[in-house]
Amino acid sequence: MSGPLHATAFATDSVVAGEAASDFAAAPELPDILPPVTIRRGFLGFLWRHPAIAVGGALVATMLLIALLAPWLGTVDPTALAPARRTRGPSATFWFGTDMLGRDIYSRVLYGARVSLGVGFSVAILASLAGLAIGLVSGFFRVADGSIMRVMDGVMSIPPILLAIALMALTRGSVGNVITAITIAEIPRVSRLVRGVVLSLREQPYVDAAVAAGTRTATILIRHILPNTVAPMTVQATYVCASAMIVEAILSFIGAGTPPTIPSWGNIMAEGRALWQVKPYIVFFPAIFLSLTVLAVNLLGDGLRDALDPRMMKRL
Amino acid sequence: MLNYVIRRILATIPVMAVVALFVFSLLYIAPGDPAAVIAGDQASPADVERIRQSLGLDRPFLVRFSEWVWQILHGDLGTSIFTNLPVAALIGQRIEPTLSLMVVTLILAVSVAVPIGVLAAWKPDTLIDRAVMAFAVLGFSVPVFVMGYLLAYVFALELDWLPVQGYTQLREGVWPWLENLILPAIALGFVYIALIARVTRATMLEVLQQDYIRTARAKGMGQSGILFLHALKNAAVPIVTVIGIGIALLIGGAVVTETVFAIPGIGRLTVDAILRRDYPVIQGIVLLFSFVYVLVNLLIDLLYTVLDPRIRY
Amino acid sequence: MDRREFLKSATGAGALAATAGLAAPAISQRLAARTLRFVPQADLANFDPIWNTQYVVRNGAALVWDMLYGVNANLQPQRQMVESEEVSADRLTWTFRLRPNLKFHDGEPVLAKDVIASLARWQARDNMGLMIKAIENELVAVDDRTFRWTLKRPYSKLPIALGKVGTPSCFIMPARIAATDPFKPISDYVGSGPMKLVRSEWVPGARAVFERFSEYVPRQEPSSWLAGGKQILLDRIEWVVMADPATASAALQNGEIDWWETPLADLVPVLKKSRNVAVDIADPLGNIGSFRMNHLHPPFNDVRARRAILTAMSQEDYMRAVVGDDAYWKPLPGFFTPGTPLYTEEGGDILKGPRDLDAAKRLLDQSGYAGQPVTCLVAQDLQIAKAQGDVTADLLKRLGMNVDFNAIDWGTTAARRAQKSPPGQGGWQMFHTWHAGAVCVDPSSYTAIRANGDKAWFGWPTSEKVEAEITAWYEAANLDEEKAAISRLNRAACEDVVYAPTGFFLSHQAWRSNVSGIVKGPLPFFWGVSKAA
Repeated sequence: MSGPLHATAFATDSVVAGEAASDFAAAPELPDILPPVTIRRGFLGFLWRHPAIAVGGALVATMLLIALLAPWLGTVDPTALAPARRTRGPSATFWFGTDMLGRDIYSRVLYGARVSLGVGFSVAILASLAGLAIGLVSGFFRVADGSIMRVMDGVMSIPPILLAIALMALTRGSVGNVITAITIAEIPRVSRLVRGVVLSLREQPYVDAAVAAGTRTATILIRHILPNTVAPMTVQATYVCASAMIVEAILSFIGAGTPPTIPSWGNIMAEGRALWQVKPYIVFFPAIFLSLTVLAVNLLGDGLRDALDPRMMKRL
Repeated sequence: MLNYVIRRILATIPVMAVVALFVFSLLYIAPGDPAAVIAGDQASPADVERIRQSLGLDRPFLVRFSEWVWQILHGDLGTSIFTNLPVAALIGQRIEPTLSLMVVTLILAVSVAVPIGVLAAWKPDTLIDRAVMAFAVLGFSVPVFVMGYLLAYVFALELDWLPVQGYTQLREGVWPWLENLILPAIALGFVYIALIARVTRATMLEVLQQDYIRTARAKGMGQSGILFLHALKNAAVPIVTVIGIGIALLIGGAVVTETVFAIPGIGRLTVDAILRRDYPVIQGIVLLFSFVYVLVNLLIDLLYTVLDPRIRY
Repeated sequence: MDRREFLKSATGAGALAATAGLAAPAISQRLAARTLRFVPQADLANFDPIWNTQYVVRNGAALVWDMLYGVNANLQPQRQMVESEEVSADRLTWTFRLRPNLKFHDGEPVLAKDVIASLARWQARDNMGLMIKAIENELVAVDDRTFRWTLKRPYSKLPIALGKVGTPSCFIMPARIAATDPFKPISDYVGSGPMKLVRSEWVPGARAVFERFSEYVPRQEPSSWLAGGKQILLDRIEWVVMADPATASAALQNGEIDWWETPLADLVPVLKKSRNVAVDIADPLGNIGSFRMNHLHPPFNDVRARRAILTAMSQEDYMRAVVGDDAYWKPLPGFFTPGTPLYTEEGGDILKGPRDLDAAKRLLDQSGYAGQPVTCLVAQDLQIAKAQGDVTADLLKRLGMNVDFNAIDWGTTAARRAQKSPPGQGGWQMFHTWHAGAVCVDPSSYTAIRANGDKAWFGWPTSEKVEAEITAWYEAANLDEEKAAISRLNRAACEDVVYAPTGFFLSHQAWRSNVSGIVKGPLPFFWGVSKAA
């Protein structure tokens, strides 16, 4: 977790470092007052300077791999039930034990990664796209700004979990509906962020110049404003992803989440919660996986925020 | 200033109108039929229809919406379908526990988060800083109910220091009241602490770079003096902002915490109402929450003028 | 003194010194010994036992309202509010006399006119009541303590109807309250039962509080279920609603609650191990798990498809999923409660023996099943329904059927199961539930066994044979004739598959060991229950 004193984009780092190193080699020997500094270059050097991104990214990548490779990691059918062998503890055959219906928890947790990560990433992407569109329009066109922001305020003033539960109560439990419900709850925040960026950029001289030159609005938006929103939006997207995964778990806990025929970390925990005092492993394993993943995504977000322009990020 | 307050209050009306329309429409198109649930297992479809008519659920949208708005403006939040009690009375019964929980959580969170955020900013990039930030990120990552179960298991069941569940009213004594709220407040407060600590640290770091801090140091002012007299006061605005935003988080988290610790508050009332499709209760509560949130934001904006004399409306 | 008590006393004393004059601890300790904290099976959202037929409402209503008769532990009706009854020689006229000095909570005496009004309201919602109404000539109050019921045909089961456990039970309310439309809920909860509902402390969804009614005069006989003297040995009973079984379990172990109506079977071992907690079977009459198929629409409108399911289903799987431990369930090749006089396994061979998946598949093919989706309603918030639903989904998959799994809540289940529309348009083909064993001992309150098509319970089974045998049972003159009728009924019900019984299972109740007087039964009985300090 780095402070604002660190450098900005990694491209500049290696270039400067590269030139400095070559000058250094040609110069006369200096007295030994300063310890030798190792300048690491390239991608690995970037990761070394930003451990948050390294650790977070590695964990997220691991979880993604687990999710993708689930069928080949020693799993069985996660929905195969066998009540005769219910609630067995972790053992050599069932690495994480079995649940109340005799299903293998290890398999359910690995397949559950697909749903939880799927929900997290989908919400992040969809909310970002929608928020981007709304924020751009709202920030750039003063006419629309007032009414759009009132609507966003309205949606935002309903606590997000309650909004998601209410939306889920309207429909059947399905992964798609969960994604939609959480996305709707997250859009206002993203749109506010984008709108903020657009508002501050709109005053820049080069935008004025573009307008004066008669450039089409769409071109201004796409060529000048959009690129500047990418950085803060990426960071915000990671936070949205982390938040979405937790909200999915809470929705399942309440009973308004993904359908139980598809294992997700949230609903494995929800099903096991009644037995948590006697068979804690049913809740424990998905909880660990969920916490680690959310932690990793948060770390990634923090690291990205510090690595990219800190002045833009300070509000995040 | 008064002008600003009036303008802001007027500006909340369209927001509330949007919320009202949004909430009412969503529930109107919802599937699920409270009349059938009330009629019970042994009822025939004719019985169900009769109950539906007696509850007025078969009239058109606009009629129901206008009636509802009219009632709200007269202070009548409707009557619960399931319990036949006025929604306002139901909320009144349940508001003390939720309010208590939120106040205790708020106090706990701020009193823990701000000092550790300041500490982390004071010693950036040290072990303390990293520990604080790690703790903060952990707070975001563990779901509230897992934290709740853990705390209940360790502190209530095993160590028997605190009760597992329930709520005691304030008028039965301060300690009994507090006793029931400590574990839920910690479980709920984790996320809040994480959020506030991060923002505190980030803002303090920025503030500590400023020239006037360097001047103060040059003048020979003590470290705590600098931190609290100058730095924190200037950092107050974003911190207070995030506290305000966090209240929406708290309400959401209260829902889960109230379930785990069996606290008879509004969070549980809302979830029960939503899952049972008790429309009047849902409408009344969401409207209330939005109003509170809007009010809190207004108060915070006004608080800015106190905290930062440069801000004038 | 445990740690928490210590902390409470030391700091509590300090806090008291600070907060002037709140003498909480001393008073509340005395009150605590006479207060019972009970966790009911569900939330008590509204409290009209005629309008709302949920078991939890009946259980609370049994405290607040009294009944004319009450069944005892042998399911025989005994007089409760009635002092004596007279049946005419032709068995068509019943004259009842009420006990003296029966009072309502508001001080008014219980009069015959109150009884008449209550009976009228109850009849409108109850199966047996409707049967009686169909053969009723008149129901009048003769004087303040006497009323007369004249029928067109004899109805020997009248006392059972008036004292039964099956909902809606016949509770007696003041005439002004009983005048409420039976399809609208009452809003005044005044009764003549041994306890009063404390309206001001009732928080629907969280708690309900009952206070002893000091002017209640219990009968002299010892109490047995709903019969006998309802002696209340406590001052207050607090019903605390806990949605989370883990919380209830921890609270019971910690002494924060005194009696838990429905501990999960999986939590029973840890409760048994805990000192100060006693656990036992709640009701030897147990429960019958069930899922119902929709007889109106394909595929289950064809009896072969229904029989295919019965051929393939494994009651063992269902019961293990519901209660786990083998000691708590029994296979049930029939529809009536094991251990009762009318129990029979006649015709239940289809549910016995090793499961034949191939035979089932053949039957399914014969019925013409062509792969259309089967809409299955599974309530997630009730452990029993959810466990059964998961097993069914697996069963249908193994049979090669296309499952449309609807994971909903119990409220939505109640709504959707009432729809007769075809599955693609909001209807359903299967839903899961269970029935109290006390209700399934004979056809009198057993709504689920009726097979009169459109008027039957959800699923709308039609079976003339079943209906004929039900009538035969009502007209049976003695136990042997009853048994014969029930045997034939069972066979017919199995052949036509009125519904699919998933097995017989027992549930538990748990309480602190300083509580005594808790008996086994189909509902929690609070009379005779006391708490040592």
